[in-house]
Amino acid sequence: MFTGKKSVWLFLLPGLLGLMLFYIVPFFGGIYYSLTDGSFRNAFVGMDNYIAVWQNPMFLLGLKNTMQLSLVCAPLVWVLSFAIASLLNRLRPQGAFFRNSVLLPYLMPSSAMLLIWLVIFDYGGVVNRLLAALGLNRVIWLEGAALRVPVVLLFVWKNLGFAVIIFLSALQAIPQPLYEYARLEGAGFWRQTFGITLPMIVPTAFLVIILEWINAFKIFKEVYFIGGAYPDETVYTLQNYMNNMYGKLNYQNVTTAAYSFAVIVFALFGALFLMQRRLIRKLM
Amino acid sequence: MQKLRYRPPRGHVLTRALLLALALLMLIPVAVTFLYSFSSPEEIKAFMQTRGSYDDAKWMAVKLSPQVFSLNQYYEILIRDNAVLRMFVNSAFYTVMILLGQAVVVPMMAYALSRFRFKGRDALFFAIIMLMLLPFQVTMVPNVLTLERLGIRNTVWAVILPMWFAPFYIFLIRQFMLGLPNELIEAGQVDGAGTIRCFFQIVLPVCRPVIGAAVALSFADCWNLVEQPMTYLNQRVDLQPLSVMFNQLVDSSSGIEFAGAALYILPALFIYLYFLKDILAGVQLTELK
Repeated sequence: MFTGKKSVWLFLLPGLLGLMLFYIVPFFGGIYYSLTDGSFRNAFVGMDNYIAVWQNPMFLLGLKNTMQLSLVCAPLVWVLSFAIASLLNRLRPQGAFFRNSVLLPYLMPSSAMLLIWLVIFDYGGVVNRLLAALGLNRVIWLEGAALRVPVVLLFVWKNLGFAVIIFLSALQAIPQPLYEYARLEGAGFWRQTFGITLPMIVPTAFLVIILEWINAFKIFKEVYFIGGAYPDETVYTLQNYMNNMYGKLNYQNVTTAAYSFAVIVFALFGALFLMQRRLIRKLM
Repeated sequence: MQKLRYRPPRGHVLTRALLLALALLMLIPVAVTFLYSFSSPEEIKAFMQTRGSYDDAKWMAVKLSPQVFSLNQYYEILIRDNAVLRMFVNSAFYTVMILLGQAVVVPMMAYALSRFRFKGRDALFFAIIMLMLLPFQVTMVPNVLTLERLGIRNTVWAVILPMWFAPFYIFLIRQFMLGLPNELIEAGQVDGAGTIRCFFQIVLPVCRPVIGAAVALSFADCWNLVEQPMTYLNQRVDLQPLSVMFNQLVDSSSGIEFAGAALYILPALFIYLYFLKDILAGVQLTELK
């Protein structure tokens, strides 16, 4: 560890300047912005913008959809990736092919995958053929509320791999003697899972849900790819609202909406963080 | 002495079967895109026109490979009409510029945050974590305020500059550097290396896997840019990357969209193959919690 070295500023300078210029300073400047009316006098209006945004039905719709979609996407990726990582862990040291195939979509541009998605989820497409083969009715996937299914699946398809890799490396880091000892003591598979595996991966599980949730909050790409720039109102996300307001040059509104969302995000992650701390204290 | 025999765990076959099914689900969309790209444009056009029919008696054909192998889609987009190619070049330009900037900014910042003690370090790291948690809908506001002030909205820099200071990669590389043994740096210091030589000759080479992982992950982000160009370049259709334009390409189906998609996947595939080991090692060796 270097202490009291002047050269630290040399390493910090480019990044610090950029972060200040593009993120930190304007972030605080924006707070002031969200409290003024945006006219040429730029009069101070207090919480009026916030009240207006929170009464705007489109903002509420976007917020609701973004929350709902992220509440489906993040836990889905979380649970699936843990299950897949556990399966891969059983095959160790083999299974590299499976692991690599699951990671592949993470590097793939989902924009290019949209073509296949449109073909698969078409009314006459493969998914509906499967449903029909099972004796079910066809579903109109690409319109209305069902649009959420291809959107969520595209998100899961792309983001699963990275979460699997993180879980897998955490599972592999658990010392094997722990399991051998547990087996000697007569602990079965479930006892081992709940006694050893789960407590050991709590920090990782927390990290994955946070990372996936960050990803899921900005869900918009998938909606834009499949539903277009003006999608059905069941998949109208916060980003759609922001883009609309931004297009109308209503910056006060954009800023206020963004900061309202920031408060929600921080509150959620703060609560998650506290939960993790309590959980770890309980388990240790 | 009894010889220890390898005993496959229970459920091995089932595990493999499940994972194989999953691997196929992951790979098929990519594989099919490549297969379709070798159909003739007419064939794709006809095929794509059977979409969107709500007639219960009709199905789309289940098509796995082209009827006749043809390179005409590629001929169309690479030689005949370069509209797709131009957007592809836009994508490549943004990606290269963003990665170059990140290569300068991110490792240096991570080095300062992990191997130095200085006033305000913890506050700065906290700010970076907070920025990392914020979704794009929020960070676009400070970005836009500055871009507006600098007068570079609707120029290529609007997409490039804010991405240089990506908090996630600073965090990722910082965590890795934090785990490096102190002896490594001390050995350098004994040999008379200062902070700068330590950085270039000791720390950077050791960080190869995590930097490789960061490059690959950042590439994946840049190659799939949608929100940034859509908002920061909303008056410049000519500057949009291909990732934003795919759905227009499908709507105006001229039969060349699959070659466009395959062409777009190809660089990502190379990056994946080249950096696969680094991604795995980078995630494994980094103390992420």
